[in-house]
Amino acid sequence: MLTDIAWGVIVIMLPLTGGIICFIWPAISKTLGLITVVGTALSVTGLGWQIIESGPYHHTVGGWGAPLGIDLFADGLSLLMLIMTALVGLGVSFYSKSYFKPQEATWFWPIWLILLGALNALFLSADIFNLYVILELIGLAAVALTALTGHIAALNSAMRYLLAMLLGSLAYLLGVALLYHDVGSVDIATLAEKIKPNATVWAALGFMSAGLALKSALFPLNFWLPPAHANAPAPVSALLSALVVKASFYILLRLWSEIFGSFGEGAAALLGLLGAAAILWGSLQALCQTRVKLLIAYSTVAQVGYLFLAFPLALGSNGMVWGIVAYLALSHALAKSAMFLVAGNLLRFSGHDRISGLEGTVQRLPLTVSAFALAGISIIGLPPSSGFIGKWLLIEVAVTQGRWDLAAIMIIGGLLAAAYVFKVLGQTFSDAKVSHDTGTVPASMEWAALLLAIGAILFGFIAPEILSLAHIDVSPSTNGITP
Amino acid sequence: MEAITLLKWTFDTVLGLGLLWLAWRALTSTDLFQAIILFVSFGLLMTLAWVRLDAPDIALAEAAIGAGLTGALLLSTLARLQTAEVENTLPQSVQPSSKPQLVHWLLIIIIPLLLAGLGYAILDLPPYFEGLSGAVAANLDASGANNPVTAVLLNFRGYDTMLEIIVLLMALLGAWSLGGMPPYTDKPAGAVLDTFSRFLVPVFILVGAYLLWIGTSAPGGAFQAGSVLGAAAVLLILSDWRLRPTFIQRTLKLALISGSSAFITIGLLTTLYEGQLLAYPATYAGILILFLESLATISIGVTLGALFLREPVKYMESQ
Repeated sequence: MLTDIAWGVIVIMLPLTGGIICFIWPAISKTLGLITVVGTALSVTGLGWQIIESGPYHHTVGGWGAPLGIDLFADGLSLLMLIMTALVGLGVSFYSKSYFKPQEATWFWPIWLILLGALNALFLSADIFNLYVILELIGLAAVALTALTGHIAALNSAMRYLLAMLLGSLAYLLGVALLYHDVGSVDIATLAEKIKPNATVWAALGFMSAGLALKSALFPLNFWLPPAHANAPAPVSALLSALVVKASFYILLRLWSEIFGSFGEGAAALLGLLGAAAILWGSLQALCQTRVKLLIAYSTVAQVGYLFLAFPLALGSNGMVWGIVAYLALSHALAKSAMFLVAGNLLRFSGHDRISGLEGTVQRLPLTVSAFALAGISIIGLPPSSGFIGKWLLIEVAVTQGRWDLAAIMIIGGLLAAAYVFKVLGQTFSDAKVSHDTGTVPASMEWAALLLAIGAILFGFIAPEILSLAHIDVSPSTNGITP
Repeated sequence: MEAITLLKWTFDTVLGLGLLWLAWRALTSTDLFQAIILFVSFGLLMTLAWVRLDAPDIALAEAAIGAGLTGALLLSTLARLQTAEVENTLPQSVQPSSKPQLVHWLLIIIIPLLLAGLGYAILDLPPYFEGLSGAVAANLDASGANNPVTAVLLNFRGYDTMLEIIVLLMALLGAWSLGGMPPYTDKPAGAVLDTFSRFLVPVFILVGAYLLWIGTSAPGGAFQAGSVLGAAAVLLILSDWRLRPTFIQRTLKLALISGSSAFITIGLLTTLYEGQLLAYPATYAGILILFLESLATISIGVTLGALFLREPVKYMESQ
């Protein structure tokens, strides 16, 4: 009975509906928002159960079927991303309950719920034009959330963010148009079947990859990320770093694993090279920062670099590397959202986020500092965290393919991450010369951060289960075209 | 025949060069007012280009939204920039001459290369292309609409349209979350504008309704009709027409969400009864499309107009 329900439709429509109701009825938005997020997480569980029981989820919207209509499709990879969104969404929502002033909450809840629906729609889409529409929705929501405080710095970085997002979307759209004209379909499975490399396909590959790399802040296209993520309110930074960046990366992953993977070797090598550069550059930049939020933002630039190492490694690994990368993305999402929530707590507590002014925070906010430490363990990649497993597996793939250079860079990235995490942690343990607390931090905000960080560690213990989940039918091309 | 072909070629060449020239002028103009006028002219020429490409639906939308409403939004933003006493807060990145020259030269090299590559890829495309138009034509009878564009937008890819309408709502949410438009100088509209708008608004509404109705069988439809309604709303707002508070509290918000909620409701009902999201039963397809399009038109028009409002923002935040 429960397996007959169209869970895939519900995980998209429920948050969209919730967002619209929050808009017309702001008075109940906080309660309704939480109910919607919990309900969506439960629906994701339902969908996951369905996928484990009976294989990939498939839904033909409008009953037409691809290529005329749009298909929803979810395999293990999509499911992993949906779980990531649900978990981070839960943590951030409970945090936001106490974080926002009423005036900001009026706008936060409808925008965040629609963003949640759009993210779920993205991970379920099997149609590259539909993905474009969703990218627009996600981009606008992310920019609106970035500008939520209305401060001049936030507005400036939101504007820059908006322009970068639009440029990325347009480049992607151009690629979609070229592919449609060449193959005559925008359905991923059909494209995978019929595509033959020619000049048009190469141009599409270039424009789509560049646009999505810009949206995922791949070095050197990461100029918009640090200011946007550092100036947004803390829960918003958590959502942007943990989820929004992963959304465009996921499209890139899908395109390469289904469509471009068989012939785009040179381009894949370039993506890997930029990923390696991002690890080094982002980590070094993070090490140089004097503010916690900027440090975490640059750490995102570095961690996104790890994800891009999958592209050059994919060809020799039978697609196994995509599962590892999805797992690493999930791990990063949990740890990074915990870190940004911690930054929000520190900001609330002491009124600033300068690293030099954090002395003695550990006595006053033990839960918050523990959350940062646990999340840091996963970001560095120390056992037994999920970050450790993900990076370990990725290094193993690199070594078996003889890519010692990539393996070395991953290890150096881990050492640099250790340096910047301990730079913050060390400061919180040193003796406070002056007491500088200006605000109290509600317990729910401390616990939300801690639970997300614990999640990042715990996922290390269930890594085999998660990885086997990721490999439930990697390819959607086995699905027949329904009449 | 020769002469006509030659004429078409000349026209297209002039049109293409004119587009490039206007775009360049709009980008390089230092006078913002001039830049906006150039941008609007660019939109109008672009409309002609779409007509030449046999895409009347897009031409209508370009004229109404690209040239009309965007131009109005830009002009009214400019008017407020000039009255508001804000200090110069241009971000570093857009201030000229502060940028390193290296980036400049890199762009000068990269952009022509990109253009050359794109040009080659486009020349490489097959000259004749059917795409999915065969599939659309084959299923047109079952779709409930005679205009293929409407059939695609409201039926075959209705899911995309649902998301697009939510994109529009999101744009409004974003604009309102920043406080909406700064207050207007409460100057009563001149007699000419006042009389003129009273005369024009009913015509706009009529044109919008016609575009909506004709959309099922000819170029037109919700987006075009909605933008004409939006233009009417903008005209009213600019000629000092104000909303009553009770209207803002309920009716305005309901109008804003009417399109998206209609899509969501029908989507959920069809999922429940037909098993598929937005799968209309064949016998009701026509009437459902008209229903969805009507509500979408209202919410598109109201959303576009609401971008010019401030009062609802104050009301919402005081709740």
